[in-house]
Amino acid sequence: MFINYEHDNHVYNVTIEKKDNHYFVTYDNTEYKVQAEEIKPGQLKIKIGDRIIKSIITEGEKEKYIFVEGKVFKVKPVELTGMKKRKKKDEGDLSSPISGKVISINVKKDDNVQKDDVLMVIEAMKMEYLIRAPYDCKIKKVNFKEKDQIEIGQTTVEISKKED
Amino acid sequence: MFKKILIANRGEIAVRIIKACQEMGIKTVAIYSKVDKDAPHVHLSDEAVNIGDPIPLESYLNIPKIIKIAKETGSEAIHPGYGFLAENPDFAKSCSDINIKFIGPPPKVISLMGDKIAAKTLMEKAKVPVIPGYHGEKQDTQSLIKEGKIIGFPLLVKAAAGGGGKGMRIVQSEKFLEESIESAKRESKSAFGDNTVFLEKYIDKPRHIEFQILADEHGNVIHLFERECSIQRRHQKIIEETPSPVMTKELRDKMGRAAVNAAKAVGYTNAGTVEFMVDGNLNYYFMEMNTRLQVEHPITELTTGIDLAKWQLRIAAGEKLTIKQNDLLQRGHAIECRIYAEDPANGFLPSIGRLTKVEPPIGPNIRDDSGIYSGMEVTSYYDPMLSKLVTYSENRNDNIKKMIWALSHYIVLGITTNITFLKEVLHHEEFKKGNITTHFIDNFFKDWTITKDGLPIDAIIALAVYDSIHTKSKEIVRYKEEDPHSPWKHVGRWRVGGREV
Repeated sequence: MFINYEHDNHVYNVTIEKKDNHYFVTYDNTEYKVQAEEIKPGQLKIKIGDRIIKSIITEGEKEKYIFVEGKVFKVKPVELTGMKKRKKKDEGDLSSPISGKVISINVKKDDNVQKDDVLMVIEAMKMEYLIRAPYDCKIKKVNFKEKDQIEIGQTTVEISKKED
Repeated sequence: MFKKILIANRGEIAVRIIKACQEMGIKTVAIYSKVDKDAPHVHLSDEAVNIGDPIPLESYLNIPKIIKIAKETGSEAIHPGYGFLAENPDFAKSCSDINIKFIGPPPKVISLMGDKIAAKTLMEKAKVPVIPGYHGEKQDTQSLIKEGKIIGFPLLVKAAAGGGGKGMRIVQSEKFLEESIESAKRESKSAFGDNTVFLEKYIDKPRHIEFQILADEHGNVIHLFERECSIQRRHQKIIEETPSPVMTKELRDKMGRAAVNAAKAVGYTNAGTVEFMVDGNLNYYFMEMNTRLQVEHPITELTTGIDLAKWQLRIAAGEKLTIKQNDLLQRGHAIECRIYAEDPANGFLPSIGRLTKVEPPIGPNIRDDSGIYSGMEVTSYYDPMLSKLVTYSENRNDNIKKMIWALSHYIVLGITTNITFLKEVLHHEEFKKGNITTHFIDNFFKDWTITKDGLPIDAIIALAVYDSIHTKSKEIVRYKEEDPHSPWKHVGRWRVGGREV
């Protein structure tokens, strides 16, 4: 069986076969022969040579979480057709860092603003998050109004770079 | 002693207090908002009353509702925990108005200490050193800007009613002063209902060291030594320890006496904390007094053997302190790490979602004060602290190792936590040497991200095995010899995107 895991924008192709009491896991041109036991739901004890891997795996809605060697990793299974390239966060990305409430908007369409000016204030868990201008720019569009609920990743304000 | 009390809080602190009550044979009444109906404090208490909408103002901050429930359930006292109504003098007064004991100091002491400006003035009079700043009444932005320029930069804008970093801004230069004042005022207004701010000099290489106080209602006051709380992010503590690595016997005696005097000067009763800022030359300045049980109280409990929550109940019931200052002994070393639902690699933004698995570490001298469970939904309504992991050892070196072990065995899956981050702080050479200030995180971990080594091979193997066990055989049948003419049969072994193997 082939499986592809995505972790941190990297895809890992793995194959696994079960024969007799062993699993054969192939990754990166290396085959690992292991014995495995699920002690409790999601809790695996895997014997590989004279070493034992202890891990705990749980499933979220789309992703899996694995705890191994004191660390937690989040992975997503991906389809064989490849994955969409995630848009790289550039400087001009003014997406909301958090889900919360818009408590103040300091700009309107066509305003010219300077680098570091506060454009919008979002409140979540009684803390304020300031959306600042990444560079001198002009406001193209304000996507929210005061008291709106805003979700993480939604674009707060659209801007265009000032033309010299 | 009380027969029944109400706990006006949620999460780990409600659990902590209920357990103390149960040991003492006191019945407990919990309150909970809609989203907390399955929270640990609800199931642990003898009675639990639904207080409605999850918005704090409608639930855990709703004084009339809480008072009504206390009356209806026949509660004789209310324990406010920390946060929410713990330092709200109106709440303390509402309790005493109907003859319900508020477990904490009297309302007038809470108002006095809650007004950071009045508190500082009082301490100045009592000859406790304070930090230079503007604590005046002129609160319009222009006057504050003028005063700010006099104090100089960098400076701090602080909510007079604040705490926990809310309504607080560091201002590096004049350019940011106006917006910082306005933003701090707004945040303070929404968090505390009061927008008074003050300005003060930002001290270089500051440590945050506080002293625990216990005061009974018969004039006896003792201190239970210090807690070093310098490791902070966004002005909120994340790692606390006691004893402080810089503390000397002389300094401890001096600061402890100052703390006791501060408490006596205001007529303090019950458990409280006097916070000091200590600079690089071990000068100390009074910062504020917290009129409640602190989040980090367990480290004092472990190093002194005193149960602070139980003493709060005894003092509130009118009992005398039976511990004398000279009887107290500070023994060994304790650390607390606050486990937060937040992403340290992304500005410590809170994370929300379902906890798919929670399994705390168990071992000698490991304490986990927790309000979470597997399957719990972490929402954005309340503070993102999930639990407090506390370890105790003979000395600081051993204890750092124990805490690293405990963090490495703390399983919290489903949402992003700060566990890996906490571990890296403890591993840091400067932390190990005890060279810490409140700027530690900014200085050494500003652009911290989780090491991007990718998935370790052990994780890959475990995931593949897990998926193999949990995939129905039908789904992988194509890999077997279902169709003798299947092209899959003839390609041999291959990998997607890989070379021929």
